[in-house]
Amino acid sequence: MIPVIGGLALNLAFGLSIVTIILLSFHLRTGDNRLYFSGQRAALAVSLLSFFATFVLAQLLMVSNFDVDYVAHYTSRETPTIYKITALWAGQSGSLLFWLFILSIYAVIAILQNQRSQQKLMPWVIIVITTVQLFFLILVNFVTNPFIPTEADFVVVNGLGLNPLLQNATMAIHPPMLYLGFVGFTIPFAFSIAAMAKKEMNALWMKTVRVWLLFVWLMLSIGIILGGWWAYQELGWGGYWAWDPVENASFMPWLTGTALMHSIIIQEKKNMLKFWNMILIIITFTLCIFGTFLTRSGIMSSVHSFTASSLGPIFLGFVFFILIVSFTLLFYRKTFLRSEKRIESFTSRESGFLFNNVVFVVMCFAVFWGTLFPVISEAVRGTKITVGAPFFNQINIPIGLVLLLLTGVGPLLVWRRTSRQSAVRNFMIPVSVGLMTALILFIFNMRGYVLISFTLSSFVLTTILIEFAKGIRSRMRSQHENVLVAFWRLMRKNRSRYGGYIVHVGIVLMFVGFTGHAFNSEKEFGLKVGEKEHLDNYQFELLRLSEEERPNHYAYIADLKLKDSDGKTITILHPEKRIYFHRSPDPNRRQPHSELDIYTLLNKDIYSIFNAIDTEKGVAYFKIMINPLVNWVWIGGYIFIFGTLIALFPSKKESVV
Amino acid sequence: MESKNKFYFAITGVALVVIFWIWYASTNPVNEQALVTFLSVEELLDDGYSDRVRLGGLVEDGSIQLDKNNYMTCQFELKEGDYLLPVQYTGIRPDLFKDGAEIIIEGVFTNGVFEADILQTKCASKYEGDLRDANSYNLEEVSI
Repeated sequence: MIPVIGGLALNLAFGLSIVTIILLSFHLRTGDNRLYFSGQRAALAVSLLSFFATFVLAQLLMVSNFDVDYVAHYTSRETPTIYKITALWAGQSGSLLFWLFILSIYAVIAILQNQRSQQKLMPWVIIVITTVQLFFLILVNFVTNPFIPTEADFVVVNGLGLNPLLQNATMAIHPPMLYLGFVGFTIPFAFSIAAMAKKEMNALWMKTVRVWLLFVWLMLSIGIILGGWWAYQELGWGGYWAWDPVENASFMPWLTGTALMHSIIIQEKKNMLKFWNMILIIITFTLCIFGTFLTRSGIMSSVHSFTASSLGPIFLGFVFFILIVSFTLLFYRKTFLRSEKRIESFTSRESGFLFNNVVFVVMCFAVFWGTLFPVISEAVRGTKITVGAPFFNQINIPIGLVLLLLTGVGPLLVWRRTSRQSAVRNFMIPVSVGLMTALILFIFNMRGYVLISFTLSSFVLTTILIEFAKGIRSRMRSQHENVLVAFWRLMRKNRSRYGGYIVHVGIVLMFVGFTGHAFNSEKEFGLKVGEKEHLDNYQFELLRLSEEERPNHYAYIADLKLKDSDGKTITILHPEKRIYFHRSPDPNRRQPHSELDIYTLLNKDIYSIFNAIDTEKGVAYFKIMINPLVNWVWIGGYIFIFGTLIALFPSKKESVV
Repeated sequence: MESKNKFYFAITGVALVVIFWIWYASTNPVNEQALVTFLSVEELLDDGYSDRVRLGGLVEDGSIQLDKNNYMTCQFELKEGDYLLPVQYTGIRPDLFKDGAEIIIEGVFTNGVFEADILQTKCASKYEGDLRDANSYNLEEVSI
């Protein structure tokens, strides 16, 4: 009975979303406000029904109602409760419903928050949001319905269970975070379409769009970082980024979104680049839909994607629909979006922002090209050429380093035009620090990208430090404050600027972590109890092999003693080889899982994987990796998130107004 | 006006340099793993490629054999359509690698054996099993 109610809610929501669009279209034509209010209410009802359907599915998962195919597929009785809920986004139809769910949350917030202040734009905003909802409602109603009953002529007593790889706290929050980012771009997109349709783009619009962008961009960033963290901690190949199509799918909108975070500052401060920003918003939103398409269509043979492909053409159609409608509108509004002002000089901060934008966009294109290269090569030459991580690294490392350089140069440039004197004054110290670093690294035998990356990192960090120092000093002089108070008030006075600098510090530290990858080393070996192996001055000795039966798996545990070159014991690593569902009579249902153990230092990780065990001979097989500087990726990530939060935090001044 | 033109030139210039760079990288891969041809097992057996290639298929049931002397090495047969290919792989085996698993391998075909150095499994978000297949459930038949 309950599954039927869920399905019914989705049917109703589908119908109401069409009603919403019709009502609001008539309102726009006639100007009759009653039509608007009905439309708004219908829109809210669509969202509420979507919530309801999602809760129904969550409830079905919770109580293990295996009459529903989805529940039987992704959970079993033994699945821990928390993962019964996360199974909501484990499969295709559930994750599409979850997309709709998040979009509905955003829709309700956007409608309630702006219904008075943005009266003129709201009809269009709601039409756009509802159209996107309608698209997902079509999918969950007619293409892949999560409430479809189990097709079996017997009573299903237990389900198939959730993959143990997905039974992990990070994995539980990684997809929702990514979704919060992906889905969220719908709102700024809707406001942009509305602004173009109504030719109305005031300061309030700017503020609304900027805050939404910042928030969804933060969510997307957290989602991407968590994905890398999960891969590193759980997947056991020692890396955090593989340039997998699905990773790229989240990275592409992040790149254009980041470009937008920068160029929107120019629009806010100088009322320039409006046309360009519209293009960026449209592209970013399209890439979000395209990303969902890449994940869900199975067009790429990715480790993430589901194999069903009926979704492919529908998604692609929607992508083209968005592009055609948006760009047509953009074309008709090109005079409205024209800026009065021009960038005056190459050496202005505006131009710095503009080059940053170009580089971000071409980097996005590079990733796009690499991601679709297999499809393109198959279409053009008939052979499918797959693209490996080395290709993406080859292309993107130099582009990334140019971005790193611009991160340092940008803040040193002055608005409008940088004079020769101020250029010399501003660049003197950072450039000297950078050159000194380069020299020292050169003496220590570093070359190539490593040398460039560390040099640029020191250069950028110096520029940011100087920016902070300058601000603090001037406050200390003019306001007679001490260092800490001056620092605190400086940040509070201009949160977006200094929050931005902190984000840059995070990025630089992440670059340091990425660069550490060049020094990775690894070794695979088998050990009997008492035997030793060496890697990079470290000694690994297998002390003991033990076995243990736990509630839902069987574990082989290795005690691996780690000694440094002086013979001092550092730690004992405990990597495990686990077998989930070890009691299943069907060996194919038993699921091995390697539980890693990582010894973390500030300058390196020692990463141990228990690969296999030969119980007859008592040999355990390991892979050990030493990953220098990898922690700086995560530390940089935290700082990055912290900086964005500072920029996002509502200021007192604004909340009074 | 001139400054505006200069900007267009500069930006077009930057974009062109990068596009040239992408094209260069696409035609001059940095190493043999950057761009790899994806073949079907049939194509590989027919044409006898000696280059590094990538293949996809299923692990033939019951074919996985671990090397007696080194469990890091295993032999198995890759099945695609009606074709079977003997494969040898040394390295970490992904957790989902087992009979019937959908995998992707990369390596070189020499002397009748495909020597793979990359083995990836499709990361399914669930346990593969057909719902219509009663064996995949812990079921209690209901007598009708």
